[in-house]
Amino acid sequence: MTEQRVLPLTTDHDTAPFWAAAAEERLVVQHCDDCDLPIHLPRGVCPRCHGERTSWREVRGAGRLHSWTVVEHQVHPGHPTPYTSVLVELEDLPSVRFLGSLPGRLDLEIDQPMTVRFERVGDTTLPQWEPVSS
Amino acid sequence: MRDAWRPDTMAIAGIGSTDFSKASGRSTLTLAAQAALAALADAGLDPKDVDGIVRCDMDTVAPVALGDALGVENLTYWGDVGPGGSAPAAMVAQAAAAVAAGLASTVVVFRSINGRSGERYGAGYAQGARAGGSSTYEEMFLPYGMQTPGQYFAMVARRHMADHGTTSETLGRIATACRKHANANPAAQMHHRTMTLDDYHASRALATPLRLFDFCLETDGACAVVVTSAERARDLRQPPALIRSAAQSGGADAQPGQMFPALMRDSITTWSSRALGEVLFRRGGMTPQDVDVAQIYDCFTITALIQLEDLGFCGAGEAKDFIQDGTLEVGGALPMNTSGGHLSEGYIHGMNHVVEAVRQIRGTSTNQVPGAEVSLVTSAPTTGGSALLLVGA
Repeated sequence: MTEQRVLPLTTDHDTAPFWAAAAEERLVVQHCDDCDLPIHLPRGVCPRCHGERTSWREVRGAGRLHSWTVVEHQVHPGHPTPYTSVLVELEDLPSVRFLGSLPGRLDLEIDQPMTVRFERVGDTTLPQWEPVSS
Repeated sequence: MRDAWRPDTMAIAGIGSTDFSKASGRSTLTLAAQAALAALADAGLDPKDVDGIVRCDMDTVAPVALGDALGVENLTYWGDVGPGGSAPAAMVAQAAAAVAAGLASTVVVFRSINGRSGERYGAGYAQGARAGGSSTYEEMFLPYGMQTPGQYFAMVARRHMADHGTTSETLGRIATACRKHANANPAAQMHHRTMTLDDYHASRALATPLRLFDFCLETDGACAVVVTSAERARDLRQPPALIRSAAQSGGADAQPGQMFPALMRDSITTWSSRALGEVLFRRGGMTPQDVDVAQIYDCFTITALIQLEDLGFCGAGEAKDFIQDGTLEVGGALPMNTSGGHLSEGYIHGMNHVVEAVRQIRGTSTNQVPGAEVSLVTSAPTTGGSALLLVGA
């Protein structure tokens, strides 16, 4: 039997709507209703205008690779090495970044185009990121 | 706004350490007591006279518990300062603030950790099937295999290389400078093991572009210092290390959570250490050029490299030009981590750096910088850090 990989807690006050949208295969970013700031990481009070009215807007799943690491030293039985963790910034909102992970050692370049993909693990859906195939 | 900080009014009067090992064979309480008793003996103070204790919020030894272990008559002040590695310089600052405010007169500041035989930070933060919640934001990182400090710093290193042309050779020069210093320090865990740049490059990749020798040494051990007024310290056994400046800084764009969320900063290759340096040097009336010797927090090589840029020892992206052969060694432009640092002496979460910074002021380091008058020490910079400038009396 293989060990279970780490899954997100999907019931946190601030991040639950992100995971609920992911379950519907939608990528969303919290925005402030008053000043329009994308609030990422999400939270209940806008750090710019202190407004407390926010909404989750669907965004385009197109990004660019901000950085990555190939993990060779395994620390968790559910995450076998090698794997590549990627840090992706949204094409339309460069201040918003997400993590992704892909099996194996990927040959990547900073700023290369990435696209979202939804991965279902049991009853949880993870937005994942992979290189745009050329 | 003018700083009300008063330089040189508070001092570190005593220093103490246990041995550093992979298996201490004793509890963190015992380690803490041994380091604290050593620091008090060094200062020539009676343990029962301790009235304050300051620790970081990741220590497993409670201040009152350590007070009990020391046999203090009445502990009347204690405090917790921030997360582990970012705390030590700020712990000294908090102790100094307590003495200045009249809340305590003799404060033990300590860090005790079984970081190799007990809880290993390198083992990752994932516990249980579900990660995150409670404002940690770990749910956004851990499921994606971003689970250890080394993996976070690898992301940062990759981007620094892409933006600035930094190479592993520069990181290797940091690792080999620390090792060279450890080779002269009998207390260092890597005292007997030399490292060339070739050895560095031959070490295995753990999380690219970082390799084994970019990582610090998970360590069992404890360090402690005694903080009191400069006036009182002058009458004690050792020459005091006066606190010329002390600072904490979160900087702007600090991000919530701890460490991993710093990947959401506008720039992931600069930290709170930039804002920290401005406050530190302003309060001390000094510039980076005044620093004779530096203990720079080095959980990883890249951690030290970025601080050198942030603090102004070179410009952003210029570390690759600044760090040449010998730059960071005694006789170089900035002798750094003269006990071997976290990379080669041991990882007491920033506290062994404070102890070594004091030794440099006393002239007792095993890699003594001749005539060192200004000694800098920093504590982890990622999501808020701290630093001290120490001078002789």
